[in-house]
Amino acid sequence: MTILETIRRLREVGVLGMNRRNAEYIMRFNPRSFFPLVDDKLKTKQLAEAHQIPTPPLYHVIEHHGDIPGLERVLSGYQDFVIKPARGAGGSGIVLVKERTAGGFVKQNGQVVPIRDLSYHISDILSGIYSLEGLEDRAFIEGLVHPDMIFDAVTYCGVPDIRIIAYRGVPAMSMVRLPTQASDGKANLHRGAIGVGIDMAGGTTLAGVHRSGVVTHHPDTHEPVTGIQVPHWERMLVIAAKAVDMTGLDYLGVDLVIDQERGPLLLELNARPGLQIQIANQAGLLRRLELIDKAPPEIFGTPERRVAWVLDTFSARPHVH
Amino acid sequence: MKRPALLLAVALLLLSFALMSYRILWLRYPIFPAAPEKVWQLSMDAYVKGGEKEATVMIGVPFTHRGQIVVEERIFSATLSFNLLREGADQIGVWSGHIRPTGEVIGYRATIKVQPQHLFKTKPPALGSYPKDIGEAEQKLAKRLVGKWDTLPPPDRFRKIVEAVKGILAPPPPDDQDLRAWSTFQDKHGRVTPFLVLLRAADLPARAAEGLELVESITTSTLVWIQVWTGEEWENLQPEKGEIYQKPVALLPLTTGGDPVVRTLQGDLSEIRWALSQQIIAQWRMHFERIMRSDRWLDRWSLFRLPEEFQTTFRILMLVPIGALMICLLRNIVGFPTFGIFLPVLMALAFRNTGLAYGLGIFWGVVLIGYVIRRWIDKLRLLLVPRPSVILTLVIVCITIFALIGNKLDLREFMAVGLLPFVILTMTIERFFVIIEEAGVREGLWMAAGSAGVAVITYKILQFEPLQLTFFVYPELLFAVAAIQVLVGRYTGYRLLEIFRFRRLGKS
Repeated sequence: MTILETIRRLREVGVLGMNRRNAEYIMRFNPRSFFPLVDDKLKTKQLAEAHQIPTPPLYHVIEHHGDIPGLERVLSGYQDFVIKPARGAGGSGIVLVKERTAGGFVKQNGQVVPIRDLSYHISDILSGIYSLEGLEDRAFIEGLVHPDMIFDAVTYCGVPDIRIIAYRGVPAMSMVRLPTQASDGKANLHRGAIGVGIDMAGGTTLAGVHRSGVVTHHPDTHEPVTGIQVPHWERMLVIAAKAVDMTGLDYLGVDLVIDQERGPLLLELNARPGLQIQIANQAGLLRRLELIDKAPPEIFGTPERRVAWVLDTFSARPHVH
Repeated sequence: MKRPALLLAVALLLLSFALMSYRILWLRYPIFPAAPEKVWQLSMDAYVKGGEKEATVMIGVPFTHRGQIVVEERIFSATLSFNLLREGADQIGVWSGHIRPTGEVIGYRATIKVQPQHLFKTKPPALGSYPKDIGEAEQKLAKRLVGKWDTLPPPDRFRKIVEAVKGILAPPPPDDQDLRAWSTFQDKHGRVTPFLVLLRAADLPARAAEGLELVESITTSTLVWIQVWTGEEWENLQPEKGEIYQKPVALLPLTTGGDPVVRTLQGDLSEIRWALSQQIIAQWRMHFERIMRSDRWLDRWSLFRLPEEFQTTFRILMLVPIGALMICLLRNIVGFPTFGIFLPVLMALAFRNTGLAYGLGIFWGVVLIGYVIRRWIDKLRLLLVPRPSVILTLVIVCITIFALIGNKLDLREFMAVGLLPFVILTMTIERFFVIIEEAGVREGLWMAAGSAGVAVITYKILQFEPLQLTFFVYPELLFAVAAIQVLVGRYTGYRLLEIFRFRRLGKS
């Protein structure tokens, strides 16, 4: 295929490019003044709670270097937890502790570290090392999510999460992100996690994308990633639909995890969600956004109505082999 | 959404285009300021002997008018004082003062661009009076001789007169008595005056001119010829042989209207030597002098008016936006990653001191050494501000060591690092480290290579002299650059690398 032909085909399929995403969706639909709501995970958390959207439990917030010496006492009550920078981007600065032993804290990857290391890490977070603009930051400690078993066979360490892109309150496209050995248990695609598209209407997984190539099996567990029925699918779509209402951002990436006991929890929101999701779904996002623009006005009334419309309208393409 | 940006871009382009057109069409700026141009180098050297008295030497010198541009002029006057005077249509250099017993050497140099006359509409000159000392009888005689050609157009009238003087007489031949009278007149007045009388009688404006023939030469004498206005342009006639100079005219008049080129009031000009040679210079240099003297608004606000020591900076500055434009293109049209917008531009500026090969060598050397140190420093758990400070110090240590090694090996480029690279390199190391940590070594190297690549392209653009000159002469081109930047800013199509990334989606 020549380049021009490829461009024509991509247009036909409705693939969204970076330039168009930035100019016509992010700049147009996401007012900058609302960005702090999603750039600061603590603010997102508070906002979600105010809207009865469940999130992982908040244990503690550390705002000043002076609070660090009290860390040991704060952590004494918890067997497992997660340390996060409030303004971290792309999963940087997040430390998962899955249990504590006599030697110290056991991290996600099995490494055992002393409290000193955690204190230093929190100090780094407060200095703004992981924050978007290098500004001083807050660190917070929240409960570790015990993910639903459904993705156990296709997860290497860590917690898989589900990304839903919502446009004008309507969930448009989604994928589940599965940690791999290469991604160090993190669910970020650019770190080497796999993204697996999800059929919007039915909530079953499609083919996956790993480092911009299509995969059908997990590279570490060698289990198939396709055809998995995602639990609580409709509830997650409703959370994504509500997230748009609560932030005022009309083009939004909503990241969720499924807890064994509590079900779907809102992890964080992203005002500049990536475009890799299109490869995971083997479908163009632009086409879906245009379909949403053409939807009858009455469906935009409530989150539930919008989700109902999605379940009616979007259905998966056949699997790609 | 797209319309206002598009309109702005069009407005900026039009503004740029209008200003440029104005300069080119009305102020006669060169379209390609860096293009080579043939010019003449005129030099005059003379030796003046004095007596006891004050001496004054007057020599016709060229000046800028429609037919020629005097680019550079230098005067050597020894102990004499020098003045320029306008005299009729001429410019006269006047050297005057007390002459030392050993004599004085005076000199004049000029770089002259001769422009083809047909490019300009010249105003027809007024018909002058007959030369001095010509009585009514002679005027009538001349009228009788040329009267029969009165109905011919001026160029033909001129040619008939020239032929007649050479003895080729068109029928009907003139009266024998008249011919004899004319012959006597010619014997008395030489060649030039009779021609002028005949041309005046034929109502053709004419004047004697003195100057040099435009050929590479050294000569001690000047040339006299007659300029004749034949309705559209001046034609030149060689009076001794009665021949018309062929076009294009290769003559450099120094005085017109009968005054000799060299005149002395007291004093004695014992040797005078004229030399003409051809040279090639860039077009903008010819306009430089003119712009400096011009009182046109755009000329007065030209960058050439800046003191020379600041001009070099602006020559570079004018091109930096092009570097930024390159980065816009690479990032938004191609999709190539770079470390920010400014890093490659600053690197390109730093390369100007070190040269490309050494600059790139120093860049990669310091970044890789810096990366290793940065990895190691990460273990020390330094706080956010002191940590880059340590890196900065180490970068300077690195550069200093490079400079000392360069000194031992006699490599000037190693020592030629300016003040810019320190900050850039520190920033690069920090960004490089973060990218590698967050996105992996591949991504980090890819981005560093991207930045270095863009820096090289930007550097090549900054160093491209014709472009430097063009932007310096036409700073309004910056509006055009801004227009393209606006257009790139509204480009919502796919990036080239995206086409590759998503190509699979286009199949099936």
